[in-house]
Amino acid sequence: MTVSQGPLPRLLAIDDSELIHRLLRVRLQHEPLEIHGSMDAREGLELARRMVPDVILLDIEMRGMDGFQVLQALKDDVNLQDIPVIFISATASMEDRVRAIDHGAIDFVAKPFEVVELKARVRSALRIHQMVKMLAQKAQVDGLTGLWNRTYFDRRLHQEVSEAVRHGRSVSLVMCDVDGFKRLNDECGHPFGDAVLERVARILQGGRSSDIACRYGGEEFGIILPNTMGTEAMDVAERYRVAIEAESWPGPAGRVITASFGVSDLSLLAGPQGSEDLIASADAALYRAKMNGRNRIEVAPLARPAG
Amino acid sequence: MRIAQDSNPIRSEFADDPDMADIVALFVSELPKRIASMQEALCSGDIPQLRILAHQLKGAAGGYGFPKLGEAAALIDLGIKEGCDENVVRSRLGMLAAFAARIRP
Repeated sequence: MTVSQGPLPRLLAIDDSELIHRLLRVRLQHEPLEIHGSMDAREGLELARRMVPDVILLDIEMRGMDGFQVLQALKDDVNLQDIPVIFISATASMEDRVRAIDHGAIDFVAKPFEVVELKARVRSALRIHQMVKMLAQKAQVDGLTGLWNRTYFDRRLHQEVSEAVRHGRSVSLVMCDVDGFKRLNDECGHPFGDAVLERVARILQGGRSSDIACRYGGEEFGIILPNTMGTEAMDVAERYRVAIEAESWPGPAGRVITASFGVSDLSLLAGPQGSEDLIASADAALYRAKMNGRNRIEVAPLARPAG
Repeated sequence: MRIAQDSNPIRSEFADDPDMADIVALFVSELPKRIASMQEALCSGDIPQLRILAHQLKGAAGGYGFPKLGEAAALIDLGIKEGCDENVVRSRLGMLAAFAARIRP
C-alpha cells in the first residue's frame, strides 16, 4: 500500500451511543484516519458543515433527527453532497438498507460490525471519494490551457451573480479575445496557435488571486471579477492588455500579438440582470473593441436602452 | 424462579486483545449502571427510553466481544417494537440482567 501525502482523511461518526464512539476510536486507531465524532444528529450535521469530512459513518436510529434526515440534509448541501456516507445500524431491515442506498448512502454496515469489514468499507468509500473529486476537477479544467473551462465558467458566473445580487455587491466580467488569431493559426500553424493560447492563459491567470480566469471557447477567455466595480475591472483588463502586447514570441523578430477586451459591471446594467446579460453586454463591448481597431478595451454602456 | 442454572463467568471474545482491554473493562464496569437505567425506565413506564438503551446495547455489545448480551438486548428492542405485553418485556429484561451479572472483563 502506498503512503498518501498530505493530511489524513477525516472520518466523522454520528451516533447517539458513546459505546460506539469508544469502539470506533479503538478499532480504527491504526488506520490512516483522523477520527471525529458527534453523539447528536444536529450537532453532527453542524460539525460536518464546519469540517467537511472525507467520509461519514451515520447511525439510523437517533433521537430528534434520524439518520435518513441527516442524509437528506447532507445531500441538500452543495458542499457536503459528495461526501460518502456509510450507514451503520443495528436495525438493518431490508427496507432500511434499500432506502439508505436509494437516498445516496454509499454503503451499509450492520451493528455489531466486523472490524475488518468496517475498515475495508471505509477504505473503499475513501477511494471512491478521491476518484470522484479528481474527476470533478478534471471535468472543469481546460485541457490545453489549464484554465477553468466553459462548463465551470457558466456555473461559477451564475453563482457569483446570485451572490452579488443577494449581498448587494458588484461583480464584473472581462471578455478577452486574441486579435487576428485565425490568421496566426493559418500562417504559423496550429502548434504556434496553441502556444499563443497557453501563454495568454498564463498571463490571465497571473492577475489578482480573487479573479477567476476561464477559457470561454476558441481564442476567447472570460475572467470573472467578484466584488469588483467596472472601473477597477478596466484597470485589470488594461494590465492584461499591456502584458500580452509586451510578450515576446518565437519567429520573426518584433512579432506582436495583441488582444481586445470587453468589460461589463453587473451593477451598471439596467434593471435586475442575470449572468446571461452580463455575458451579452461584455461580449457586445468586446465586439466594439474589435470594430474600433483591436488591442483595446471597451466598457458596456451604463444602461441598456429600455425595451 | 431461576431457569438458567449456568452461572459460569462470561468473558469478552476480545479478552486477549491489548487494544481492547481498556474499553472492555470500562464497558463491563458500566454495565450494571446501564442495566439499572433500563430497569428504572421500565418501572417508570418510559418505554421509549428503555428501547433506546436496549437498541444501543444491541448494536454495541458484540463489538465489545459479548454477542450473546447483544442478542438478549435485541429481544427487548424487538419486543417493544412489536408491542409485546409489558410482562414479556420485563421477563426479557430479567434475562438480560441475569446474563449481564455473569459478565467479567
